[in-house]
Amino acid sequence: MAGAGGPARLLELFGTMLATRRFEEVVYALFAEGHFSGHYHLYIGQEATGAAVIGHLSGRDTIFSTHRNHGHLLARGGDPAAALAEILGRAGGIGGGRLGTFHLADPAIGMPHTSALVGGAVPLAAGSAFGAKLLKTGGVSVGFFGDGAFEEGVVFETLNLAQLWRIPVLFVCENNTPGALTRAEGGSNTSYLPGGRVSPVPEALGIPTHVVDGADLEAVDALAADALARVRRDGGPVFVEALTIRWPGNQSQYPTMATGETDLAMAWDAGRIGNEHRGWFAADDPVLRAARRLLELGAADAAALQAMDAQVRARMAAARETALASPLPDPATALDHVLAGAAR
Amino acid sequence: MTYSEALLGAIVEAMDEDERVALVWGSLGGVSGIKLDFGSLRDRHADRIVDPPISEAGIVGIATGAAMAGLRPIVPIGTGSFLFRAWDQLIHEAGGAHYMSNGRVTAPLVIHIRHGMRGGGGVQHSQSPQAMLWNAPGIEIAMPSTPADAKGLMRTAIFSDNPTVFLDHQMLLRREGPVPDGKHAVPFGKAAVARPGRDVTVVAASLQVVAALAAAATLAADGIEAEVIDLRSLVPLDQEAILNSVGRTGRLVVADECAPRCSIASEIAATVAEKGFDLLKKAPVRVNRLPSHVASSPVLEDALRPDAGRIAAAVRGLMD
Repeated sequence: MAGAGGPARLLELFGTMLATRRFEEVVYALFAEGHFSGHYHLYIGQEATGAAVIGHLSGRDTIFSTHRNHGHLLARGGDPAAALAEILGRAGGIGGGRLGTFHLADPAIGMPHTSALVGGAVPLAAGSAFGAKLLKTGGVSVGFFGDGAFEEGVVFETLNLAQLWRIPVLFVCENNTPGALTRAEGGSNTSYLPGGRVSPVPEALGIPTHVVDGADLEAVDALAADALARVRRDGGPVFVEALTIRWPGNQSQYPTMATGETDLAMAWDAGRIGNEHRGWFAADDPVLRAARRLLELGAADAAALQAMDAQVRARMAAARETALASPLPDPATALDHVLAGAAR
Repeated sequence: MTYSEALLGAIVEAMDEDERVALVWGSLGGVSGIKLDFGSLRDRHADRIVDPPISEAGIVGIATGAAMAGLRPIVPIGTGSFLFRAWDQLIHEAGGAHYMSNGRVTAPLVIHIRHGMRGGGGVQHSQSPQAMLWNAPGIEIAMPSTPADAKGLMRTAIFSDNPTVFLDHQMLLRREGPVPDGKHAVPFGKAAVARPGRDVTVVAASLQVVAALAAAATLAADGIEAEVIDLRSLVPLDQEAILNSVGRTGRLVVADECAPRCSIASEIAATVAEKGFDLLKKAPVRVNRLPSHVASSPVLEDALRPDAGRIAAAVRGLMD
């Protein structure tokens, strides 16, 4: 499938993906070094979906995300230093330390609010689009959520309402493989959806629904272009199920860096891939896949990709230092912003 | 004018005046048999009135997202018991929106419910969720008792930048009273003295104000002058009005349809005990619904109800 904007566009989206990957590696390191506490979730393995979909949005549009939101924020143009500071609970964070990793959002970039409750932001995304429709702003919304959201009733309610009220919203289910934790690993079956696919549900409601390989940057890019064009043209909901293979480090609470810091050279030098997690490196990692595709298309050579990576790493290292240098919030501000308007 | 007509008047005015105001259709008249004339409103603002399916969580979530986008949705949920189905969206998303953005996002929606014991509502149609709501940060709570306040508080709720839960008592919808013409706004956080008196302060909201006034009339025949304070809003709370009144009377009764544990009455009594202990001649008394579900049978329902008789008895107990 051809990308929506050719190799140059793919290279740009790859830059977003790589920034997200390096950002998440910094988050992992900060946690491992004890700089923040509480459980957290990384977007590793899903970078192509967020980068490609969000790459088609304008400033009028909004996105809503989940507990796995870091990649969405960065793709939407969020500041990595302010995001890291927020994760660390610092005054210089996007929300002054009120959000943490669970709720990264920034209304200045069209990402008003992030819900860490499973399915919680799905109606908000529809609502934002509903507001835009009634206020005639021309904006649309994208709601990102995982396959687990289909275990929550409010998601069905929202899909039904989006059809009934003709709401211009793109639902993007990032299906990172349901039921991936076996019982032995502490998991259990959570859904009877056939094949672990959620798409039969929106299909049953008559919502235009598409399934895509969520780790295929070109495919998601092309589909997102079509899907968003349809949302804007028809003024109703469209549903995309983006399938990805679950990153081996993705656990229900604390990620592990199972696949190590990403070695970009694996994209062009298969000899660097060992036996452990071979399938991930060879076929599933969206960052390595996109790098290989860029090389194939001649959009960049290995040296250019390495140079890009060096720049991204330097940017994230600087963001890390900025975040760590940010002061802690003043405890006297803990009551600020409970209510809008005068303090009560 | 009836309470229902006054309430509708505020909504009609706001929709005519401001195109950000939208109505997620519901049943403002509910099962009361009251027929309100929404017809011309729908004609004028068809694009801003939508008909909801039975999806409280989805509707409140969508209204919250729409409010974040700049709309001012009014969401009639109907019977207050149903609000629990949207609890997560209300408490965590709408209630948290401003805080979670460090003050940059607002969610100015109005959720309208009819709370309380209404005769035959039983366990699942008689809830008074105001005490549980009061425990949640980030949500304003309005509870009028008169037609004029229904209109004035609704206007304030619609134009507030916070999520507001607006509670009518089912049994107030037909209450008659004078209503100011035009754009009548009653600010939140300003209690009203529904009846002045020197001997005892009775604090109430919503239908309990009516019960307290009935109790006060009975007590007056015996020479006991009860001052009835109508809170009008719980968030923000007019603590000053309560403490001023108790400062004059030295006695406090709080009438409240919530069950007693962690109730409106509990919070008011605790507040006065903390901030006005020296003003009190006697310990405050709470008159609540008895600590039970609401039974369907009228006899059992009456046995649970905090009514004028129980309020008057509580007052007499303080006058020894």
